Amino acid sequence: MLLIAALLGPTGARAADRVVAATLDNGLRVLLLEDHRSPIVSFQVWYRVGSRNEQRGATGIAHFLEHLMFKGTPTHGPKQFARLVEENGGQDNAFTSQDVTSYFVDIAADKLDLVIELEADRMQNLLLNPKEIGSEREVVIEERRTRTEDDPGGFLGEEVGSIAFKAHPYGYPIIGWMEDIKRITPDEIRAFYKTYYVPNNAIVVAVGAFKASEVLEKIRRRFGRIPRGRIPPPVLAVEPPQNGERRVAVKKQAELPIVYLAWHVPNQRSGDAPALEVLSTILAGGRASRLYRDLVYQRQLALEAGGDYSYFSIDPNLFWFWATPMPGQTAETLEKELLAHMDRLKTEPVTEEELARAKNQIEAAMVFQEDSIHRRASLLARFEVIGGFALKDTFIARIRAVTAADLARVASTWFAQDKKSIGILQPKQ
Amino acid sequence: MIAKRLVRSAVVLLGILPAATATGAPLAHREVLPNGIVLLVAERPAVPIVAVRVLSRAGAAFDPADRAGLANLTGALLTRGTAKRTGPELDSAIEFVGGSLEAGASRDSITVSLAVQRKDMALGLDLLGEVVLSPTFPEAEVARKISEIQAAIKRSDEDPNAVAGRVLSRLVFPGHPYGVPVEGTRESVGRLTRDDVVKFQQEVMRPDTTVIAVVGAVTVAEARREIIGRFGAWARPTSPPSSVAQATAPPAPREETVTRELTQATIMFGRQAIRQTDPDYFPLVVASYVLGGGSASRLYSRVREESGLAYAVYSWVQPSRYGSALIVTSQTRTTEAPKVVVMIREELARMAREPVAERELALAKQYLIGSFPLRLDTSGKVSDFLVAIEDLGLGLDYADRYRERIARVTVRDVQRIAAKYFPPVGFSRVVVSETK
Repeated sequence: MLLIAALLGPTGARAADRVVAATLDNGLRVLLLEDHRSPIVSFQVWYRVGSRNEQRGATGIAHFLEHLMFKGTPTHGPKQFARLVEENGGQDNAFTSQDVTSYFVDIAADKLDLVIELEADRMQNLLLNPKEIGSEREVVIEERRTRTEDDPGGFLGEEVGSIAFKAHPYGYPIIGWMEDIKRITPDEIRAFYKTYYVPNNAIVVAVGAFKASEVLEKIRRRFGRIPRGRIPPPVLAVEPPQNGERRVAVKKQAELPIVYLAWHVPNQRSGDAPALEVLSTILAGGRASRLYRDLVYQRQLALEAGGDYSYFSIDPNLFWFWATPMPGQTAETLEKELLAHMDRLKTEPVTEEELARAKNQIEAAMVFQEDSIHRRASLLARFEVIGGFALKDTFIARIRAVTAADLARVASTWFAQDKKSIGILQPKQ
Repeated sequence: MIAKRLVRSAVVLLGILPAATATGAPLAHREVLPNGIVLLVAERPAVPIVAVRVLSRAGAAFDPADRAGLANLTGALLTRGTAKRTGPELDSAIEFVGGSLEAGASRDSITVSLAVQRKDMALGLDLLGEVVLSPTFPEAEVARKISEIQAAIKRSDEDPNAVAGRVLSRLVFPGHPYGVPVEGTRESVGRLTRDDVVKFQQEVMRPDTTVIAVVGAVTVAEARREIIGRFGAWARPTSPPSSVAQATAPPAPREETVTRELTQATIMFGRQAIRQTDPDYFPLVVASYVLGGGSASRLYSRVREESGLAYAVYSWVQPSRYGSALIVTSQTRTTEAPKVVVMIREELARMAREPVAERELALAKQYLIGSFPLRLDTSGKVSDFLVAIEDLGLGLDYADRYRERIARVTVRDVQRIAAKYFPPVGFSRVVVSETK
């Protein structure tokens, strides 16, 4: 039997109103949205598992498994997934984050049956052949070299993340420590797959040119056969309050230094989250933002400067800032300047113009996302992961309600001097 | 900068232009304005946004020999001040409505891109018109942008892909503007002056080599009115537009190694090839796809899946207006670089020597044809496509022709083309690596 959670009429102006949402008997969550502008569909499967669910000694296993999801089942052998998708004109890919592992196929709408078959098959029947695991391990190691060992920004980000968290797995690199990637065994990967790749831990999202009721029935028929699994173990770790500044300094072959600053902040469950989102836009959203205009443009201290807040993080995460000094400027100067911007936010209210601009930017970004079926699907999934796709429709209202006083308050609350983590990368001679 | 996401394999398909819509309906309204501007309009009413591209044939290929980086500097300065607004005022105006207005140069063109919500279209087009028609290039902005570009060039020296790409272009296009980096060098950019920029903008950016595409929640009538109202008075110079010679094949392939302290070697092979106006372009695209186009390609199978030697390995055709390149690239741990070089050479040689399997051919063709709608699924992508096919002179029916031409490619065509373009001796090669 099918539990229809929401099946609302097409009258609403908002996208989420037209979403057909269901939870199958086996716990699989399904979100479908018709979009008939082009004869294509974006079909995505999101598993509620990422580096957040990993243990010390086995970091990177979620991402490693993501690679192996393309290595075949008894029905569709190694290499068949990519072949079948490509010969049907589709594009497939996947990513792993701290919170989720997401697989997608964008393809002509009349090929949807194939995709449903392939995704349902690999949810349950992955081969995980030790020989394939062995060669893919080398691929993941190469990926780590590209993203971390040979990339100064990636390298420093990993170092800062790991000192900012001492209890919570958000401190692990998503790709995993090199030693762990080399060590993880096929048995551990198999156990991880069995634990987390169960229908009751997954969300299927599709947006495109189809009839939602028909696709829902197809999904029910194919995915519905997969037995419900045990509830995956919860992540129990809670990051304790930070007691004092933490700092890491690294040297690397690079042309310019890099500065990272990170503060622990709450996620969207907190009433402070919308203000933090607006604050991140005021500081770092575009060329009129404070960091760009002051540090990059007016004073030319930085080649680039920015910030980022994870509104969508499942557990409380970090608010990041970074800057790359211009040649002749030092990392120390940029660190001081970034901190000065934080202090200014605490004492001096933002202007009405800044506040309105940031809100408009956030709202417009949501509208622009609607132009792509792929991004529409991803956005629904991201909201579903943090509590329900319908949160999408309250998001803008939350942003609109933010005041200048809120911004000063959250800045004072969360950006304390002794609660930051700092990373400095200096170029080697 | 902070890697939150790890993408499994970003398959790069640069330069493979998409094929036709299934309906056969014209992609866009097209007309030539009296001053020579080609205007293209595609209505996409469902989402209340508008994407506009203004492409002028004024890219780095038109840089005077001793002024490398001039087009790039000019493009970057368009949004840094107009007769009505300073650079910061432009930034504030467009960002206040959550839109974006960006300008920059490539090898062939300077492109200004606008994205706004439908309700802000008039403002967006005002700003767009100002930056294209009345940039003022304030002295202070020129100086500021020059030091910014110089710093960006310096920093790109830590990116092995950027380093390898620059060297490869020099080896593949010696003596041609394509052999010189779009951004120039720190030295060449340091020599540029405001006068150079003003002259370049006035002489090279002109209506009769400009294409404007308007795509989104707008009607053809509205788009015509708005564009003609703002760009109709742009005067066409009496002199003929300047031109650039087609690249000719270099005398002999060359190899270079660049030393960097890295854990991986970046390997890049390249040679000159052909562009869309040559009928052999279509079998070449298919051949390149079989070799290294996707996750089912020969190089991906052998180098990545079977040998675990690389995360990234692919090949693609990069056609530009005045020349084209066929490129093969991979990154592998330093010690295995010689092995990957051999594998790439062997697979190139096999392409040149043996016919491809029917199944490989079918997969490549089906992918190239079938994935077309995915390349035109947003207003931004449609506008990019429209200005590109117009500037390259391919015609609005190019999408249909592309699909037909790809569908007609045979095993024999692929072999004929591969025998010509794939023998490894024809490729120049760059390795960026720790050891020589």
